[in-house]
Amino acid sequence: MHIFILRRLLQLIPVLFGVTLVAFLIIQLVPGDVAQVMAGEAASEAQLEQMRENLGLNDPLVVQYGRFLGDLIMFDLGESVRTGQPVMDIIAPRFIITVELALWGMVVAVSVGLFFGILSATYRNTIRDYGTMTLAVVGLSMPNFWLGLLLIYWFSIQLGVLPTSGWGTWQQVIMPAITMGTAGAAVIARMTRSSMLEVIDQDYVRTARAKGVSERFVVYKHAFRNALIPVVTVIGLQFGYFLSGAVLTENVFAINGLGRLVVDAISQRDFPVVQGAVIVLAITFVFVNFLVDIAYRVLNKRIDLN
Amino acid sequence: MASNEQTPVLEVKGLQTSFFTPDGEVKAVDGVDFSVNSNETLGIVGESGSGKSITSLSVMRLIQHPGKIVGGTIELSGEDLLKKSKQQFAKYRGNRLSMIFQEPMTSLNPVFTVGSQIAEAVRIHKKLDKKAAWQEAVNMLKLVGIPAPEDRAKRYPHELSGGMRQRVMIAIALSCDPELLIADEPTTALDVTIQAQILELIKELQEKSGMAVLMITHDLGVIAETADKVVVMYAGEVVEQADVKTLFKRPLHPYTQGLMNAIPRHDIDLDELEMIPGTVPTPQNMPSGCRFAERCPYARDLCVEKHPELATPSNNVDEGITTGQTRCWIYTDEWDGPNPTKGVATNQ
Repeated sequence: MHIFILRRLLQLIPVLFGVTLVAFLIIQLVPGDVAQVMAGEAASEAQLEQMRENLGLNDPLVVQYGRFLGDLIMFDLGESVRTGQPVMDIIAPRFIITVELALWGMVVAVSVGLFFGILSATYRNTIRDYGTMTLAVVGLSMPNFWLGLLLIYWFSIQLGVLPTSGWGTWQQVIMPAITMGTAGAAVIARMTRSSMLEVIDQDYVRTARAKGVSERFVVYKHAFRNALIPVVTVIGLQFGYFLSGAVLTENVFAINGLGRLVVDAISQRDFPVVQGAVIVLAITFVFVNFLVDIAYRVLNKRIDLN
Repeated sequence: MASNEQTPVLEVKGLQTSFFTPDGEVKAVDGVDFSVNSNETLGIVGESGSGKSITSLSVMRLIQHPGKIVGGTIELSGEDLLKKSKQQFAKYRGNRLSMIFQEPMTSLNPVFTVGSQIAEAVRIHKKLDKKAAWQEAVNMLKLVGIPAPEDRAKRYPHELSGGMRQRVMIAIALSCDPELLIADEPTTALDVTIQAQILELIKELQEKSGMAVLMITHDLGVIAETADKVVVMYAGEVVEQADVKTLFKRPLHPYTQGLMNAIPRHDIDLDELEMIPGTVPTPQNMPSGCRFAERCPYARDLCVEKHPELATPSNNVDEGITTGQTRCWIYTDEWDGPNPTKGVATNQ
């Protein structure tokens, strides 16, 4: 198991290299003069030269990339060209909010998705199954910003029970979490259903029944543990989507997360901030996938370590 | 054992199990009767589609939707199992009656250790704590002849061979001292050498516990080796029923005779393997007369027109020969003329 984890960690190295390279090139690939784009039309030649100097744009690419990596290892993502603050300091608090939001979205997606997936599978081809799967299609098809707006309309404006925006109190968490989690819940429910149906007719499920295991334990212990294996992969992927998809939810509920920061940074052409955010998100995504691999291995004893 | 001489451990009467498909009701088992006493092995033999597996699953009440038991009674030591609620019956399953299956490779849950899968049954029925149940699981592994049981108990099914897994299945089935063990083709998926070991093991454990065994198989060799009584099934019905010696000495039904002739022989030179032509009729177009008539070399109009009953022969049997019961017109008074099967199957 330890060797497995170590091997997976080593495999992450080239991936992380690729990620940093792409993020690094964000600045280089901006059409035209980066300094000009960032500083704006009105900037003087002296100001542009100053900016090039600050960003190290006058050095050869390889030197720039080397310096970029060196800084990255020291958790230095450069400074914002707008405020001069270290990018790390700008990103960190916003990133935490986005991760919180994504995690709450996951809580909704996983609990609702698994519950309805299992329900649907155990009552297959009944009205409950059809009802659940219809709901899943609706949840999947509905744009989440629209769902967010509907929730605001019902709960904040009509009923007046939940705040329309902000982040921090539990009341402020409810609607964004539902907005984020609904589509994920639909995906997880559908995956859980098909995975459960595949497993429920297996011989070992019959063996469990033949042992006298109660129907509830047959479903939740014997069948579910096996059905969970493919579902875990989907859950991991969903988390990645949540991190990157948070921007819509953050905008609807005026939450100062990383998504909004990136959108603002792009419109202000603050490329170091964009770059930093991309790197942080990408590394998080890679790391979540690493955790999924480990979970997969723990759940599925048959995976060959070699 | 709870049973005594008067009450068989298992008594099945008029069992009917049907599957309700979009094309209508399919009668997979159609009025089957048999009984097994303690310390006795009843073999149920038949080819694929004869309803023997559905019969055994019916006894365990493991028939899944769209299948349903539609008639008959199943009594375990006098208690009607079909009258029990689901919850009541779950207490019997794996406890008073248990079952092992054909496919040891897929019958164990891949994500739990074999020890925990045995311990689970023990915990459910014997109400032992975790540690005691685990100890019991290790004891069971030892009982079924698995070497280094403490270590093997911690293994996952994929780490064990097919024969070992079937031993684990037997350990699960016998962990609560059942009155009845149903073995549904327990050796079909195994190597020949392992087959003999598994059958020997079941026999040995039966001698120790006195349980009744229901041995479901398509293999007459397995029947000859293990069974005391035999039920031959064809197309959802019992076509012949006898104790094992009688059956092998004088098979009555042309189908049973065909099955016996189909066993490859080593003592005489044959160019071709004998076989029964045709296949079991599908439940959708079940003949109204004798269900075997289509494949029977001796079939007459009588056979095609009228459905025979399972009965003790009253005709065409030599004086002084003991027989079981059969479902064939030849052995009834309605059959005109000599027994056409005479001499056919005496080579066994």
